Amino acid sequence: MQDWHTLLPLLNATKITLLIAICALFAGLILSFIITILESWRFKPVSWFVSICVITIRALPEMLIVIAIYNGLPLMLIFINDTLFNGGMDLTIPLYFTELSLHLEVTDYNVNPILCGIIALSILYAVYASQTLRGALKAIPAGQKQAAQVLGLSKSRTFIRIIIPQMWRYALPGLGNQWLVLLKDTALVSLIAVNDIMLQTRSIIANTREPFTWYLIAATVYLIISLLSQRVLQYFETRSLYFEQPQTVSEK
Amino acid sequence: MSDKFFYYLSHLINGLPITISLSLAGILSACIISIGLSILLISKRWYIIHPIRIFITVFTGTPLLVQLFLIYYGPAQFQVTRESSSLLWQVFYYYNPTQCYILREFLHYLWQLLSYPWFCAYLALTLNSAAYTTLIFHGALKAVPQGHWQACSALGMNRTQSLKVILPYALKRALSSYSNEVIFVVKGTALTSTITLMDVMGYNQFLNGQYYDFTIFIATGCIYILINGLLSIIMRLLEKKALAFENNQ
Repeated sequence: MQDWHTLLPLLNATKITLLIAICALFAGLILSFIITILESWRFKPVSWFVSICVITIRALPEMLIVIAIYNGLPLMLIFINDTLFNGGMDLTIPLYFTELSLHLEVTDYNVNPILCGIIALSILYAVYASQTLRGALKAIPAGQKQAAQVLGLSKSRTFIRIIIPQMWRYALPGLGNQWLVLLKDTALVSLIAVNDIMLQTRSIIANTREPFTWYLIAATVYLIISLLSQRVLQYFETRSLYFEQPQTVSEK
Repeated sequence: MSDKFFYYLSHLINGLPITISLSLAGILSACIISIGLSILLISKRWYIIHPIRIFITVFTGTPLLVQLFLIYYGPAQFQVTRESSSLLWQVFYYYNPTQCYILREFLHYLWQLLSYPWFCAYLALTLNSAAYTTLIFHGALKAVPQGHWQACSALGMNRTQSLKVILPYALKRALSSYSNEVIFVVKGTALTSTITLMDVMGYNQFLNGQYYDFTIFIATGCIYILINGLLSIIMRLLEKKALAFENNQ
């Protein structure tokens, strides 16, 4: 292999893939918390609507969602500009002694493909992770909530300080699996012109004309990343089960 | 809006045969392969377990897209499969004409098969799904309580006979997680449009290039939701029927 220096762009592409995956992970976690809370809302129509959305997205192919968001966002911007703003909206806000005038107009319809990829992948992650989180929420005994109530903690404080730290233990295996799925789904962003591992490999192959070698290298990179993250997840799982260990020992 | 929707739908339906044939073929062959692999995994011999473990790790650790490209574009790199008149072949032919002829025919046939995008997509989907399904089935087999095995051996059954009793039970238990995997295969067929197959997603891309309309995506989504909804209903009925002996209690 004389052209080992072509590995350097692949390294940069790996960085982009990891960036997208990690951004999507954090955005998706926040989104999945929101979905979980909305799904367990007392007001039923909201929870039904959210559940239907989740089921719908779970039935759609990942590739369709990624490409639909990439194609749909500019259309949405055009719609906002033409229909809501009537092609540039003038807004005047009366202040106490003066007036603030604004001119709202969308001039740039190009969307950043990396941002589109992150949005699509975070939605995908959130949809699956919300199921795990819901299961974890149900796994926590109601006594915890009641005990917090007896101690006089407010509802939000109970959720943040009592419920979430305990959910973590039940949710971690599922979330970890979902992270591995997310990592593999990042290959899809190459279809919307993000220069990730797959697209970089394609352009390398256009030069070297060795498809088998380079796709194998790309596969190896993905494999290394997922094996490494499996190790990290295992470490966190054993840590999260730390408090349960003495019980299992005493049973034996 | 609505007549445009039906116009797009009438075009997208042309891709349905490929989507359905690919997913059915992929699901069935992956199921058969993974049943075989999970039976093999029961035996504790390292030279059986290790290759299967490596197969599972490789195919679950890499994206389906990479596997698809590797199978479709990869073989073109090797001269041997492409050209039958290379020096290597001539030397081989000099020493052993009959074997050379058979091998050449075989490779020629393989090369022709691998140049069909449908076959490549089928191969990639099958291998990918087989790896995931083996994990599910093997997990279900391991979850069968040890007492079942002991009961079988108490009745004087050997290993094969007791497997015949235990395997159906384990597979029935695995059905609920297997239905997720089935839907994943259907969703994976959408990726085959990247290797020039005109499935529903391929027609979606084609129409999007012509009209650039979001309605196309909605129509495509409706088709996929219909397929997956039907599949999950079928799987649920199957599960109900298979686990009927448990519900009676």
